[in-house]
Amino acid sequence: MTTPLLDITGDICPMTFVKVKMGLQKIKPPGKLTVRLKEDALKNVISSLKTEGHRIATVSREGPIFVLEVEKNTKGKT
Amino acid sequence: MNDADYKELKKGGMMRQAEAGLFSVRLHVVGGRLDTKQLQAIHDAADRFGRGEVHLTTRQGVEIPNVPHDSLSALKEHLAPSGVGVGVCGPTVRTVTACQGCKVCPSGVIDSPELADAVDREFYGKPVPHKFKVGISGCINNCMKAEENDAGIKGWIEPRWAGSTCTFCGVCQTVCPTKAIRTSEDGRAMIVDRDLCIGCGDCITSCPSGGMGEKSRGYRLYAGGKFGRVPFLGKRILGVLKTKEEAVAAISALLDFFRLHGKPKERFGDTLQRTGFPALETHVKEKAGQL
Repeated sequence: MTTPLLDITGDICPMTFVKVKMGLQKIKPPGKLTVRLKEDALKNVISSLKTEGHRIATVSREGPIFVLEVEKNTKGKT
Repeated sequence: MNDADYKELKKGGMMRQAEAGLFSVRLHVVGGRLDTKQLQAIHDAADRFGRGEVHLTTRQGVEIPNVPHDSLSALKEHLAPSGVGVGVCGPTVRTVTACQGCKVCPSGVIDSPELADAVDREFYGKPVPHKFKVGISGCINNCMKAEENDAGIKGWIEPRWAGSTCTFCGVCQTVCPTKAIRTSEDGRAMIVDRDLCIGCGDCITSCPSGGMGEKSRGYRLYAGGKFGRVPFLGKRILGVLKTKEEAVAAISALLDFFRLHGKPKERFGDTLQRTGFPALETHVKEKAGQL
């Protein structure tokens, strides 16, 4: 199954993490979500993901864009 | 009443107003905290001895203006049972300002009110060559403007790179507001420049792999700041102080240096312009140990 892709490069805080949260809600654990985001959203999105118990499996870059592969928290709710 | 009498009253927090015979009475408030009983006592005192109003000062204090000279003693007695004392003015250690700190503010790193109480207990009202202000910010957001004080403190998070889990994704370098993190020449380590680091901890909260962790939390000291006619921002001295006791000892050493080298009516920052900051650091290290 291909990992769903969420592009939040056009969004600004707080919609960046709101969209990630909504994206993860649609996924059944232990599913994954790929998130494309800009530099200025990195801190809030990653710290919020960590706080909610999700895991960032990989980080890659497409020029100025960061791509996170997020593994959904299997214990709590998102 | 002669000038000497006015001077004495001023030292005790009772400032002569523009209108003859009236005084604005400064109260002793630490870090802007008052309980409701104290507020009630201040409310009653302002009604009884002033004109039913208070003035909130720029440094978290409270003054009761428009108090006639013959009511000053009665006002002090009225406030005493609530634990509100009268403040200070003149060449002394002044009101210690503080944010609400880590017990209230989600951004807080240190317990600012706890340190403010300790500093107040040790130094409030003690004589120095010129007024000496202490301000305590619980984190790097610096709501209490540490650098505007003769001695300023900021809550600080010191990062440490732990190589084993790092994936060299570059997130820490990207989020660092001062670009203090770089990759080593051989590309096998991340290096944090301690001079550039501002202790915000963004690299730690943003790290996806746990490669960037917390080395310590503590107190960062700034010396020689002031506002007024010729503002000057205090400079960061020493390393990260690990405990409240170390922070108090360092401030004690600053005061000691000021008493040794300061001239009357010269602010600490001006003294340091003459002596240089390295002399201060040497003195503090000798006095307070290897901080």
